[in-house]
Amino acid sequence: MTAGPQPTSTRPALHVALVLARWIVGLMFIYMGLNKALHPVEFLKLVRQYDMVHAPLVLNLIATILPWFEVFCGLLLVLGIAVRGSALMLVGMLVPFTLIVLRRAIAIHDAGGIAFCAIKFDCGCGTGEVFICRKLVENTLLTLFSAALLRWRSRKLCLRYAVIGDR
Amino acid sequence: MRDGPGSRSQGKGLLWEALLVLAVGIGLSLAANWLSPQGLSLTADPFHGDTRPTLPLASTNALTNVVAMGTNTLSLAEQVAVRLKEKGLQVATSNEVLEVFRDPRYPHDLVVIVDARDEDNFKQGHIPGAVLFNHYYLEKHLPVLQLCQIAEKIVVYCSGGDCDDSEHAAVTLRETGVSKEKLWVYPGGMAEWSTNGLPVEIGDRRSGVLQGAKP
Repeated sequence: MTAGPQPTSTRPALHVALVLARWIVGLMFIYMGLNKALHPVEFLKLVRQYDMVHAPLVLNLIATILPWFEVFCGLLLVLGIAVRGSALMLVGMLVPFTLIVLRRAIAIHDAGGIAFCAIKFDCGCGTGEVFICRKLVENTLLTLFSAALLRWRSRKLCLRYAVIGDR
Repeated sequence: MRDGPGSRSQGKGLLWEALLVLAVGIGLSLAANWLSPQGLSLTADPFHGDTRPTLPLASTNALTNVVAMGTNTLSLAEQVAVRLKEKGLQVATSNEVLEVFRDPRYPHDLVVIVDARDEDNFKQGHIPGAVLFNHYYLEKHLPVLQLCQIAEKIVVYCSGGDCDDSEHAAVTLRETGVSKEKLWVYPGGMAEWSTNGLPVEIGDRRSGVLQGAKP
């Protein structure tokens, strides 16, 4: 037995769950990415507020690439193309970003003495001002769904397999 | 369960797939930015090397700070004033902006009020006669640079509160050759102007659609 992605051919419920996970994560990323891509200056200012990058070129590249890249990965998931590769990229973005947002929230909590779950700010996630606890739960779920897409492989409603078959 | 050659090759395949997604994604993102009318310039430095960010405030706190600028609690206003002076920028009070607004040279663009916010905010309401200058898209606002070269006094404002677009726009103007002696920043911004019951122009510059003036 190998440790690769587990086949799901004998578990139809899992197929449905994986298609739903693909669509939920994909649509969320398309929505959040477009919100940022259509207002890149606002996103640039928010990225700067994290005080992690100071070089103008790097700041501009992040504000330029990240929103469209999220839209691209979201589209791939919805269409079912390079699902596991996209899911890996999303996990790679979600985990560090969630930790950065958490760090920011802790800084605000320490500075303002506000109850942690009452902290509300625009984290640059593409959904405007959100309560931090809600954001952390949302990101955890997105990470788990993406991880599930990495763990189990399903070809149901995937454009890739509909077009080129099993190659 | 043990890892075999099959699992290694699948892991390798996954990695290659992710790298392909990354490469194509970056290429398409750069192309989308280039094609988008809202696209950013990669080489611009809109913050002029200023690495000091401000902590995002809860919306209620931000409102309190804006309103506080019109009363005796000046903590945020004082902080902004100190920051502006550090950058060699002159600070304009609400009364000074009002003087510029009522100056007979204002309709002739010999004294200019510059709105450093984006077009959407500008159209929702700006100081009557103010000219839009979004310094993040400098190439779209070249006529404003010419206007500011000729003007004898220029006041730059943005939303007020913790907004720093006005100071970055003022520094941009200074870097393009506008003399610092005639350049002022109004930190109270649109929030203070509106709170004071002064007229607000809706839509384009000199649209004539005014609202909010106290009788």
